[in-house]
Amino acid sequence: MRDTQRSDLGAAVFVLVLGLVAAWQAAVIPTTPLYAQVGPKAIPYLIAAGLIALGIGLVAAALRGGWSHDLEDMQGAPRTNWRALSLLLAGLLANIALIVPFGFTVAATVQFTLVAAAFGSTAHARNVVIAFIVSLGAYALFVKALGVNIGAGVIEALVFGDPG
Amino acid sequence: MTTRRSLIAATAGLPMATLLPGAARAQQRFNSLYVFVPAGPGGGWDGLGRAIEQASRSAGLVNSFQFDNVGGAGGTVGLPRFVGQRRGRGDAIMVAGAVMVGAVLTNRTPVGLKDVTPIARMTTEPGVIVVPASSDLRDLAGFMAALRANPGAVSVGGGSAGGIDHITLGLLLKSLGKNAREASYVAFAGGGPAQAAILGAQVRAGISGVSEFAEQIKAGRMRALATTGETRSLDGVPTLKESGIDIVIGNWRGVFGAPGINATQRQALSDYIGALVATPQWKEIVARQGWDEAYLSGADFERFLARDQADTEQVLRDIGLVT
Amino acid sequence: METLSGLAMGFGHALTLTNLGWALLGCFLGTAIGVLPGIGPALTIALLLPITFSVPATGAFILFCGVFYGAMYGGSTTSILLNTPGESGSIITSLEGAKMAKNGRAGPALATAAIGSFVAGTVGTIGIAFLGPVVVELALKLGPAEYFCLMVLCFVTVSAVLGGSALRGLTSLFFGLLLGLVGIDLQTGQPRLTFGIPELLDGVNVVLVAVALFAVGETLYLAWRYVEGKQEVLPVGSIMMSKTDWKRSFWPWVRGAGIGFPFGVMPAGGTEMPTMLSYYMERKLTKPEHQKEFGTTGAIEGVAGPEAANNAAAAGILVPMLTLGLPTSATAAIMLSAFQSYGIQPGPLLFTSQAELVWTLIASLFIANVMLVVLNLPLVGLWARILTIPQPQLYAGILVFATIGTYGISNSVVDLFLLYGIGIIAMFMRRFDFPVAPVVIGMILGPMAEQALRQAMTISQGDWSVFVTRPISLAILLVAVAALVGPRLYGAWVRRMAA
Repeated sequence: MRDTQRSDLGAAVFVLVLGLVAAWQAAVIPTTPLYAQVGPKAIPYLIAAGLIALGIGLVAAALRGGWSHDLEDMQGAPRTNWRALSLLLAGLLANIALIVPFGFTVAATVQFTLVAAAFGSTAHARNVVIAFIVSLGAYALFVKALGVNIGAGVIEALVFGDPG
Repeated sequence: MTTRRSLIAATAGLPMATLLPGAARAQQRFNSLYVFVPAGPGGGWDGLGRAIEQASRSAGLVNSFQFDNVGGAGGTVGLPRFVGQRRGRGDAIMVAGAVMVGAVLTNRTPVGLKDVTPIARMTTEPGVIVVPASSDLRDLAGFMAALRANPGAVSVGGGSAGGIDHITLGLLLKSLGKNAREASYVAFAGGGPAQAAILGAQVRAGISGVSEFAEQIKAGRMRALATTGETRSLDGVPTLKESGIDIVIGNWRGVFGAPGINATQRQALSDYIGALVATPQWKEIVARQGWDEAYLSGADFERFLARDQADTEQVLRDIGLVT
Repeated sequence: METLSGLAMGFGHALTLTNLGWALLGCFLGTAIGVLPGIGPALTIALLLPITFSVPATGAFILFCGVFYGAMYGGSTTSILLNTPGESGSIITSLEGAKMAKNGRAGPALATAAIGSFVAGTVGTIGIAFLGPVVVELALKLGPAEYFCLMVLCFVTVSAVLGGSALRGLTSLFFGLLLGLVGIDLQTGQPRLTFGIPELLDGVNVVLVAVALFAVGETLYLAWRYVEGKQEVLPVGSIMMSKTDWKRSFWPWVRGAGIGFPFGVMPAGGTEMPTMLSYYMERKLTKPEHQKEFGTTGAIEGVAGPEAANNAAAAGILVPMLTLGLPTSATAAIMLSAFQSYGIQPGPLLFTSQAELVWTLIASLFIANVMLVVLNLPLVGLWARILTIPQPQLYAGILVFATIGTYGISNSVVDLFLLYGIGIIAMFMRRFDFPVAPVVIGMILGPMAEQALRQAMTISQGDWSVFVTRPISLAILLVAVAALVGPRLYGAWVRRMAA
């Protein structure tokens, strides 16, 4: 089995599992005694059935050799860049972890710096400064001028006196 | 966190005009009050919160306000946040109402209205039962007879399932000795599509808040059969009670305090709302918005709340939304 | 004639210095917020509502209309430049728009969107003034059965975006349908696929999914395949539309506006369906030599048509609001509550009881439209320059931008998990050649079609024949069949003639 075929099989199985999860979730929707000609479970079952059928189709396609090796994008595609990918994912996780306890400015600054580093920027200090100024400006615009809360925190409390 | 005035100040450069210049300024009750709205801007709860701000500031009851809107799932996304973040704070209120009573029950949330401190009911909006102008159902008696004959054949349009419109229909069926689950209820997303379906006679009848249908009734495009309030809401249209059906239901909205506040803090909030509803500024807003004032506080409000919760729960149990 | 004299009176009132000022302020604000992530016209007008306490009705509504139209202009900008649509009506615009921007055609894409918005806004406003009451009566004849058939018709669009393999394209579609199921079922109130998370009870926001699929997924994929040390700066190319661009845009604008307006008037129509139909239509009607640009380098017809459809539909939404007092969109609902704070009851009598206000409002829509195109065309060059930001900072900026749009509105970390989680799925979809467009189409149409189907079945008491016995719904179904089969038959016929 070629590498591409093995990963195609993985994708196909994922779709199949998604279909099974959908079927399980459709089954646990409480049956309602309401007068309804088409109940809340009918369409979910239909969609689950569709996903399972497509999953089976994809598994069959993968077993017959897969499809990835024919893709234009895969011809001469560079190898997985683990450094860039993990820096980017770290940027996403950092945002989720930081936005509630520390507020928007901190979260956005860390995210911006990590993502920029993922794409080869080495001027980290400059990125931090740019990100900090831009996100504080964005915070001021959204919260102060528009009245839309995008997440107050430590820095916001210092600069604007907003409670976190 | 959310201060709306800043947008106005920044864009229009307009000072917030006082409604009644020179009106008597009352004694200030709070320097700053936090208002939590468990719904997005622009809806009914937000409108009430904003009206409280407007009247309080121009009457001098409160110096400044801080708003927070967290919408979603009939208020049950915001409720736990208010309970968690404002425990014991005497300078915080939450706007809520009938919709949340239902949402707490149907969404089976662990945090409910029992976790906040009831302060007062402020407004209510009775419902109205309508038919398209072209309908052969002439009056409430005709409508009830059709329901009695075959509820499945009388499609009734309204808001989302389990909401007040649906509960009203359920109570009507119960009064006929039928079960709420037999109703042929068609839920529409939002007032526009529901009204369109009634105007176009796609459904046999419709139920919604009086204000939603009032203009269509006035223009003769819908016929009102009955309203659901304690007293009449529309000229010449009887209430259910007058028609011999003992149902009073409405979309009430009110104010709650944070959990764990002491008796003094609670009294202060209660006194503040009592003073607010007595101001001419408040009366003017209520009149202009066309709201039905329904101020009720203290033990009376708690009794009302308990009854509303019991009624709602029973219908929701019948239609399978509470098990 | 009544209309003309009404319009004359309206212009008379709208052309005062104060009212022109309100219109300009509204256009400016609207364009700005249209560009900001997550903030749509509905939220902006809701935030502006308190001015009804201090500004006369005419001024306030002129401001609101400026915001409303302005947000429509601004909404396409981020779809094209950053692949992050701000509202559901501009998701389809980003399909071709973002590809054009990537291939050095950001300027023409933005320009055709702006001029298309102008054309559609004008057509829509003329529609409001002259056809409004008539069209709305027709629209009321459509019930859930007809809406279901319209949605079936729109599903045909999927066939144009399936990509290389029907199997993988349909898998994407079903993934979208599955996402659309999440939340409380409108008809029965039962929660579906919510896994006990209260934030999911209201469903997953389609704009969030679109941003996750288009922008987050793409950025992740680029990092996956990033070659160290290789710095690419996107070409910006010519800012102006060439003569060919004009020629290729003209009919799509007109057709898009023509499809969009009636959908906007329909009480359950919305802005999404006409953008899909317009995209499908332009893709099928475009000249063979431009056909290959669709989905590759970006075809200008695919921006001009859907963007015009989106704007004309948005204008159409004002018709049921003004003629019947029906709030058929979030923005209309908030404008109606603004009427109420002036003690004006919007309803079927509004045109007669508030003639002056209504006609001034319509006149100011025309004025706002002109202001907007004048305001937006010079901005095209400025916006396009965003793409000259070096790659690392550009991608970092896009992710932060997407995050503001998601977290800023809901304040919910659950939404951030969804944004990034679906982004990661989209990265793999890109790797395994699953097209992403069918996901959003399924997610938009699936829930609408399911609800319409079930409403229709409750009303008919379970009689499935309603879809073919009601003449309008039968007619729509036949159009759907023709739309699916027609282009193939026509193609076969052309080939036979050529042979």
